[in-house]
Amino acid sequence: MSDNSFTGRSEATKADVSAIQVDDPILEMRDASVTFDMDRGESRVLDQVNLDVQRNEILGVVGESGSGKSMFASALLDAVVDPGTLSGDITYHPDPDRSVDVLDLSPEQLRELRWEEISMVFQGAQSSFNPTTTIRDHFEETIEAHNYDMAQGMAHARELLEDLYLEPDRVLDAYPHELSGGMQQRALIALSLVLEPNVLVMDEPTAALDLLMQRSILSLLNDLQEKYDLTVVFITHDLPLVAGLADRLAVMYAFEFAEVGPADEIIRNPTHPYTRSLLKAVPNLDTPLQEMQPIEGMAPDPVDVPEGCSYHPRCPLADDVCRASNPAYHAVDDSDDHVAACFHWEQASDVLSLTTDGETEHAEIVGKQSADPVVSLTDVDVHFEQEADGGLLSIFDDPDLVHAVDDVSLDVYENDVVALVGESGCGKTTLGKTSIAAQRPTGGSVTYREQDVWDAKDGVGDVETPFEAIRRSLQMVHQDPGGSLNPNRKVQASLEAPLKHWNTGMDAEDRKERVFSMLEYVGMSPPEDYAGRYPHQLSGGEQQRVALIRALLMNPDLILADEAVSALDVSLRVEVMDLMLELQDVFDTSYLFISHNLSNARYFAGNAGGRIGVMYLGEIVEIGPAEEIIANPKHPYTKVLKWSTADLEVDQDVEEPPISSIDIPDPVDPPSGCRFHTRCPEAREACARQQPSLDEHASDDEHRVACFREYDQSHEYWESEPIDDGESTDLFADGSDAAEIESDD
Amino acid sequence: MTADDRTPDDVPFETVSSSEVTRGERIRATIDEWILVPARILWSDWRARVGTLIMLLYVLMGTVGVWLVDAPQIGEGERLIPPFTDPSYPLGTDSMGNDLFAQVVHATPPMLEMIVAGALFTTVMATIVGTFSGYKGGRTDKLLMMFTDILLTIPGLPLVIVIAVILEPREPWVIGIILTLNAWAGLARAIRSQVLTMREESFVEASRLMGLPTRTILVKDIVPGLMPYILVNFVNSARTVVFTSVGLYFLGILPFTNHNWGVMMNLAYTTGGALYTLRAAHWLLVPMAAIVLLSFGFILFAQGTDRLFNPRVRARHENNAGANSSDDADENSGKVSTHIQG
Repeated sequence: MSDNSFTGRSEATKADVSAIQVDDPILEMRDASVTFDMDRGESRVLDQVNLDVQRNEILGVVGESGSGKSMFASALLDAVVDPGTLSGDITYHPDPDRSVDVLDLSPEQLRELRWEEISMVFQGAQSSFNPTTTIRDHFEETIEAHNYDMAQGMAHARELLEDLYLEPDRVLDAYPHELSGGMQQRALIALSLVLEPNVLVMDEPTAALDLLMQRSILSLLNDLQEKYDLTVVFITHDLPLVAGLADRLAVMYAFEFAEVGPADEIIRNPTHPYTRSLLKAVPNLDTPLQEMQPIEGMAPDPVDVPEGCSYHPRCPLADDVCRASNPAYHAVDDSDDHVAACFHWEQASDVLSLTTDGETEHAEIVGKQSADPVVSLTDVDVHFEQEADGGLLSIFDDPDLVHAVDDVSLDVYENDVVALVGESGCGKTTLGKTSIAAQRPTGGSVTYREQDVWDAKDGVGDVETPFEAIRRSLQMVHQDPGGSLNPNRKVQASLEAPLKHWNTGMDAEDRKERVFSMLEYVGMSPPEDYAGRYPHQLSGGEQQRVALIRALLMNPDLILADEAVSALDVSLRVEVMDLMLELQDVFDTSYLFISHNLSNARYFAGNAGGRIGVMYLGEIVEIGPAEEIIANPKHPYTKVLKWSTADLEVDQDVEEPPISSIDIPDPVDPPSGCRFHTRCPEAREACARQQPSLDEHASDDEHRVACFREYDQSHEYWESEPIDDGESTDLFADGSDAAEIESDD
Repeated sequence: MTADDRTPDDVPFETVSSSEVTRGERIRATIDEWILVPARILWSDWRARVGTLIMLLYVLMGTVGVWLVDAPQIGEGERLIPPFTDPSYPLGTDSMGNDLFAQVVHATPPMLEMIVAGALFTTVMATIVGTFSGYKGGRTDKLLMMFTDILLTIPGLPLVIVIAVILEPREPWVIGIILTLNAWAGLARAIRSQVLTMREESFVEASRLMGLPTRTILVKDIVPGLMPYILVNFVNSARTVVFTSVGLYFLGILPFTNHNWGVMMNLAYTTGGALYTLRAAHWLLVPMAAIVLLSFGFILFAQGTDRLFNPRVRARHENNAGANSSDDADENSGKVSTHIQG
């Protein structure tokens, strides 16, 4: 099959395309390239890609940001934006005997092809809808623009919405902002399917959503695909997410496909070194912590892709052949459908073992925790006033209170790591900001080394520690690495700002030298070069390092890391978290790590011997040592979170979630009693009346749960009736409705 | 500057400098950052280049020109010499034999003073009020915005006319400020709304959490991000000053104490009848051309300046100067590629 022609790219691809071809392709892509002319030279963001999409399959395209995966999607629809130019052949087969050359179509034909034959779902549903018109208008406009029958089209739209567990009447009459993010994304999927296309291309359709919602949408997608005989191309950076859904996986690296094959083959027996490293780099809940390790190096620049195999600078197997010529696709184990573009695919599994290997030494840093807390939160409430929207007379109404944080107590010690996990809107960021004195609580107290923070700020009582000192000691690293640095200032200037203000004794050279040494310490060398750069000249990981250094230059006692690694590429996350832990050891600082992703929290807190706290609707429902929480979750909500964290399992079907309602209740009017009872599969009558609390007497190292199921048998929970709303199958019923029904009882 | 004397194992927090940078080097770096780089950026864009040249021409006219060209005198030449015929009166003369070219040149210095005073007043006021009000919020914001709203509701032109009539200002600086007395209010509101979004940016919050004073945050974090907008508005208010002053001189509301293009047009219209007689037409056209050319220069300059504060453009031009290592451009592409992806 492979004639081992190592000479050149074009020869290689022709010699060995068999495996990329499929029996009944619906889309064929041959030698497709996309190039942009830039000042610095020609930027090739899709590099002679050959791939077929099988009819009625779900193809998962996986790649890191900047690997060209979105360009692949645009190329399928001939929708590459100017000034990019697309070359090659793309053929669409509406049925096995007909073929359409996509690149040859007139603008009018192309318009018909898109949406009627191939439709696309983009990442941000919020920006895909026009905020000034209702969802119904969007459907009607689409049907009208393509001259379809309106009545029939709208009937189909209703059916689609019902398939996606949305109430057609309510959703159609709503404006986009009246729907939650998950509902918007589902409505967008329905909209893309309203003209009954054959192919659905989804570009990171769930990236902006919570894990729970992601998983739920994926299970719906599975049903839709079967019901409407769709071919789905699902593009994502998240390999575990798509692993259970896709029939085939295609891994992209440096603007071409590194490995293509059936999903289970790719997960169980990946042969390309990149795929293997990627699988190891992804934090998850099952792999022992020691086995996760980052991929060294950076993805290449589209202007300057390395000679030969584009992965060779980062590949442990690389030799002269790899540096000289581009590998062809080799069939793995003589199977027809699993191919890898690597010369050394046979050795890859030996060198890059997916299971334990001794060669990586992983610093296990166990928190040296002090007796007295650095920051202590006692019964903290944070309520925001929401502006009433009732017009002029509403100024006499009481404003709605959003209960962002309700009655939370938390102690953070020296050298401690606490990871807060929860869905978006659960108040974890607000709690984090409250604990670093960036947000004034509406109730309770925040103390820093036994000095009340806000008393110090207001000068109330005896102030032992001045607010300036507290301010310095509590720092923050933000989520978006691009936004956390001033785009108009060079790295040097950004990093010198805190030194200039706080270390007035330092002269210019000392400041410069200190910044350089810090940059070098975090692996950004030569520091002279990096210090002179603007933030846009740094990669995301480097930006995040600079933001981390800036916080550390203040010599803080506690750093709030608000989703600090969520915006980074998967292959970088482990690396940055390792760096943060290493710096913790050097600088004796504590972290409050906020994440919506249980596996990141587990990696970070687990490696430092820290704790994980699970938040739900402004309350901490479970807290305890990291591995304990992961291995033995007690609160039903923690179990749900664990379920929603996708594992690298292929055969595991996307099952029903252990929860009775997907959408989170309105924090303006949180449910009575236990806040989780509206969604809890274990809820009983008592849960709606009483509120369970964390065990006050247990020490901070213990595993504590706020759930009646952990109370002893004498509690009335065990006697009361299970809550049965009769609709427990309707996952997507609006949670707040359920809450109202409960309170009416 | 070598890295030899450092080892990564040292705790980086304790590092102190081992080398000295001379004062001269630092001054050179400052000059490079503040003068040479902006100059190079401007020069690379043809609009900014032409605009700068035109503005430079007027500056030369207003400084050196008044020394080279004698002030116009009544009866120095024939009446109404057409332009481009007599080399000693290149743009011709008016009905009293005044040299039009000399009039244009000698009207420039007061005009430049007016422009600088008016435009500076507008933008500085608007920037201070807008950023402070937007960043501080709360009561400060309410008070400052109430004040600007009051100014906004006063009709500008009648106010200027009334003040001009009462004060009879003669100093060009004063006239410039009077002309823009309430022009800054609208800009202040616009800047405030920009600041409202910027103050929530992560890097601003980070500065706040580092305990940096408000002044530093405004100057270092907020204003640089608004500079393209502020600069475009600076140039626009310069044009407003030109048009308003010419208009008011033409209408005869401002006292005829200085040479001014508006005064020339007024005289051409009232005494020369330049609208009806072809012989006197150039008397009206010459000052008009001076105004149009200056305004054109401003527009071109404004269009070119938004690049001035773009860090991507700056970085590229610094590389050209060799201030940085030259491989920057090759390595900074991660962002560019994601940009294309998006």
